[in-house]
Amino acid sequence: MKQKTSCRDFLSAGMMIPVAGMSSKLGLWQPSGESASSAGSSPVKLDYRTLGRTGLKVTTMGFGCMITSDPSVITRAADLGINYFDTARGYQHGNNERMVAAALGARRKQVVLSTKSAAPDKDALLKELETSLRELNTDYVDIWYLHAKGSPAEVRDDMIEAQQLAKKQGKIRFAGVSTHGGQQQLLPWMAQKGVFDVVLAGYNFSMDSSMDQALQAAAKSGMGVVAMKVMAGGFRGPKPGDPVQDKLKQKGALLAALKWVINKPYVTTTIPSITDMDQLDEDMQSMSQPFSSSDNKLLAEHLEQIRPLYCRMCGKCDGACQKGLPVADMLRCLTYADGYRQFALARERFLELPPEKVAVRCGDCAECTVKCPHGVQVPERMARAQELFA
Amino acid sequence: MKAVRLLPLILLLAAMAQAQDYLNCKFAPGWEQSGSRRQYTADNLFEYKDGGAEGYLIYGFAHMRGIDCKLGGDTLSIDVSEMGDADLAYGMFSANRDPGLPIAKIGMGGQIQRQSALFAKGKYFVELVDVAASADSDHTAEMKAFAAGIEQRIEGRSTAPEALQWFPQQDLTSTRLVPESVLGLRELKRGYVASYKQGQAFIVQEASPESAAEVLKKLRGRFDGASSAQVGDEAFQAKTQYLGGICIFRKGRTLAGYTNLPEPQGAASLAAQLAARIP
Repeated sequence: MKQKTSCRDFLSAGMMIPVAGMSSKLGLWQPSGESASSAGSSPVKLDYRTLGRTGLKVTTMGFGCMITSDPSVITRAADLGINYFDTARGYQHGNNERMVAAALGARRKQVVLSTKSAAPDKDALLKELETSLRELNTDYVDIWYLHAKGSPAEVRDDMIEAQQLAKKQGKIRFAGVSTHGGQQQLLPWMAQKGVFDVVLAGYNFSMDSSMDQALQAAAKSGMGVVAMKVMAGGFRGPKPGDPVQDKLKQKGALLAALKWVINKPYVTTTIPSITDMDQLDEDMQSMSQPFSSSDNKLLAEHLEQIRPLYCRMCGKCDGACQKGLPVADMLRCLTYADGYRQFALARERFLELPPEKVAVRCGDCAECTVKCPHGVQVPERMARAQELFA
Repeated sequence: MKAVRLLPLILLLAAMAQAQDYLNCKFAPGWEQSGSRRQYTADNLFEYKDGGAEGYLIYGFAHMRGIDCKLGGDTLSIDVSEMGDADLAYGMFSANRDPGLPIAKIGMGGQIQRQSALFAKGKYFVELVDVAASADSDHTAEMKAFAAGIEQRIEGRSTAPEALQWFPQQDLTSTRLVPESVLGLRELKRGYVASYKQGQAFIVQEASPESAAEVLKKLRGRFDGASSAQVGDEAFQAKTQYLGGICIFRKGRTLAGYTNLPEPQGAASLAAQLAARIP
């Protein structure tokens, strides 16, 4: 009973780490004049990395501002030393940019500020950039992303021209693309294209290893890699009452998920959505605590719950189907739909399979010959893919 | 006999048809439906809204139905989202509205602009966006017509949340519902925030006076140097680093107060006025 350290033990221990310098009471709620970091017994540890070819030094934990409830949380994060803040023109019909501007105030030039535009063409993009600059109360944004692109075809030449023009005009310092899905196709294309400085990609512990490789290659090409959806929201959207989500919400689990991403050397920074002071305090610990075996265990427990769904693309099932189906490829289509919310892309990929494979129905086999070593329920998942896409 | 057995189904289908009747391109002359209707749930809203989906989910998003209408080169997107309840729908509207523009009397509140409109009614949040118009075109009249047509067909409350009336109106610039962590404090789970020319006020309702007292105690523990104030049933005031001068009080099961003022004394004075307006 004693020899094994439980997750609960680890979490309890984690909560005792002396981070008084950033604790809500000592750090935040001092009378004016005392800085947050000077108030406590130990200063907040900040961890920096260089954002690819931009040369910008950013904290490994940044700040996703989209659902922040009050500007004071952003202000405090900046005071604590967080120096990467992300918003978008479209968030709350522009209100988010206004809130970020108010929160940063005079701190604006000490931080790296990114925003995004999903406008459909060059003129509209440049018009939105002007609006962003006005709402953010700044002469320039450090990184300007083309928002939510899912394939190379969605990143048109005139959009790139808009970014290049804005760079020349000094309205943006660096150009990027944000992507929630289709990353395996988009990232290599971006790396080869050579005109993008930064990629903002959904990335978390629940994704398959192909994402690791795609991001590694992106970083190797010189792009800065910013990770979002680091809390696995990209695999399954938050759903009240969902046991998987409930588990992820347990104390320490979200921090473990954040540390998992920061532990990857090819990821420069992360932008967890932060709603309040307590979450800011917890997330800040990701820079002072290493990703530990206990974190790994906690996340493994979480993965265990999604194991029946989650293909690791290990290739052990190659050739195992008696009907010759490419099991991993089909499961990957399902991951596009279920994990990355890219139904259209998933169906497109599925229908690229040879017609004779598309026509197969797993329900017609008396017994499935494919046994996944990682526990994926192959017949059920394959049947779901056929039901959804065929 | 068979018809009688089918009656509930027929009624259900009729009710569903009526409920979806708000997705109609005929509310303004000349507009025609383009493509099929769309529908999203909390599971797949990311497909449509990308990262912006989180901004819906925190307001208890349940599902969205939408339609595109075309007239010449213009495409109007209509999206109707069902939120967790009427207050959350109002919250979604208040988070997305332009605080520089007045609120129009559409449902619980709305805003009509040249190429877009927003409003909330009942537990529904409605967005109209002219996605392909030239920047100069003025579609205010069409926006009004569509908003009115949809509003008539949506059931539910047409009055803004009662608590908003409790905020003093002088120098009020905007109000909003914050779905979690009001003022960035986890203890204040969900409530209303009013912004003034100087400072802001908030109102949060707990389930009981006892739970409100417990939350107030926890909040006071967060602020070094907090001192008692004579507001409501119990109160404290403090000077803080990030919320300026504050005064937070409890009246029955309601927690409320003023923040972001130069001095806590000023916050306490305003808090007393707010307390007097809370039933």
